[in-house]
Amino acid sequence: MVDKVVELPVSIEVPVGPQHPALHEPILLKAYVDGETVVKVEVNTGYNHRGIEKLCEQNTFYKDIFIVGRVCGICNTVHTDVYVRALEQILGLEPNRRAKYLRVVAMELERIHSHMLINAVMAEVVGFDTLFMNIMLDREKVMKAKEILTGARVMADYMMVGGVRRDLSDVDAGRISKLVEQVRERLSYYKRVFEEDTTISKRLMEVGVLKRVDAVRHTLLGPVARASGVRIDARVSDKYDAYDELPPEVVVRGEGDSWARMMVRWDEALVSAEIVLGALSKLPRDGSPVPDERKLPRKFPPGEAYTRVEAPRGELTYYVMSDGKANPYRVKIRTPSFTNIINSAFLYEGYTIADLPVILASLDPCISCMERAVVTDLRTGERRTVPFTQLSGVDRKWRGRDFYLL
Amino acid sequence: MTTTVAQAGGFVKPNRRVFTVEPSRVRNVFLDLVRERGQEGFYVSTIVGVDLKEEGLIRVDYFVVLLPEEETVVFRTSVPRDNPVVDSIVDIVPGALSGELETHDLLGVLFRGNPHLRRGFFVPSDVAEKGVYPLRRG
Repeated sequence: MVDKVVELPVSIEVPVGPQHPALHEPILLKAYVDGETVVKVEVNTGYNHRGIEKLCEQNTFYKDIFIVGRVCGICNTVHTDVYVRALEQILGLEPNRRAKYLRVVAMELERIHSHMLINAVMAEVVGFDTLFMNIMLDREKVMKAKEILTGARVMADYMMVGGVRRDLSDVDAGRISKLVEQVRERLSYYKRVFEEDTTISKRLMEVGVLKRVDAVRHTLLGPVARASGVRIDARVSDKYDAYDELPPEVVVRGEGDSWARMMVRWDEALVSAEIVLGALSKLPRDGSPVPDERKLPRKFPPGEAYTRVEAPRGELTYYVMSDGKANPYRVKIRTPSFTNIINSAFLYEGYTIADLPVILASLDPCISCMERAVVTDLRTGERRTVPFTQLSGVDRKWRGRDFYLL
Repeated sequence: MTTTVAQAGGFVKPNRRVFTVEPSRVRNVFLDLVRERGQEGFYVSTIVGVDLKEEGLIRVDYFVVLLPEEETVVFRTSVPRDNPVVDSIVDIVPGALSGELETHDLLGVLFRGNPHLRRGFFVPSDVAEKGVYPLRRG
């Protein structure tokens, strides 16, 4: 006769974060799991709100160039580029062709190293540490190329209203081309590794499948959307800077799984390498790309501009509003991760905990131990709570298996 | 674009067409868009709230990218500063979620019908507890 019933919680809450273990991001993914299966994920942000938009309202238009460059360390040239172009729209200014070409070179170098970084992290998350280190080693070549171009490996501060802040000599252009050619070879190699390695394909294929319609409805952008068959690319549609003369090939795949997203990144990095080499080989010589900063307009007319750029992670947009005073009235930054992370909670549903790659890297088993089960004694109506550790058989008195057989 | 409830109203540089909408008709605009272009015909890129203190208004701009041509258009609506309420569109376009959460947390615009709306999603909890909306003007 049954005299005891064990009410197990239907789902267990597994918090991942706020110090995100795999990506070092202060975000909390609260995963609800039924056994191994994720049934729901809640995204909690706000651990790192730095008030950049407010800061921009309190500084001048020109100082803000250096503030927005610090939104992100990995893609700082795209942030400054899109902001600077918004200012140029308000002022009615246009940089010369050489400056536009150099901007494209900086941004495409950034795309290569950003894609290499995330693919390396993915290799680490699936447990392939050697691949991680090899990719990071080759990424150093791109950082070197970026240093030759902008003067800094990471924080470039390269864009300026009306142009860029450094010219490029022919010798340095040759050095960058040489480095990019070396990297291009390595990119093809890593692409082949991701195609052929069984560990990677087993862990990534058919995991986190995103349908085309969901990508569009939930505003998922960049390589994520392109891996689900959505042909969007701000470089092609807006033709900003020199992309009218250096049109990129839009890489689109149909699978929509995690593997496709990584493959889109490898292909895009290869396309970027071609763009850099192409741009450097036909760098226009229509004067200095460096504007005379003393001659730049001090006053901004009232107006508003909304510019887009294809950042490594997807469409990045800036809205800048000027009311004719010294500071911008409003600066609105919408980064691609803002929608890609917050709106993507549905993507985890139905996959296992191990498929949450970040959880795989760093699942802290103590957290789930903290959840309790309720035991009801049907004869006396008494209710007691039992920790999972006891149910799992650490304590012989509460052997979970015995409970089900009672 | 044959969306019936929106009126053409200028441009945001460079060449982003602006359509002004009454706050009560915002949902109709997006229902029209889904009907005319389908679920895969557009996405909500961002929602920009601007506190226009002198006019006593909060302006809410919906930046929508039309596919496959990738043209960005703006649906602009204004709500009174002391009672900023707009109907939520997350049930029609789930991609508007992050934008609505942010505009609520930083500017205090209430998106009626959004079940996920709460303070402290982006701003630190001490700011949220004081009832401060950081992007409101002075």
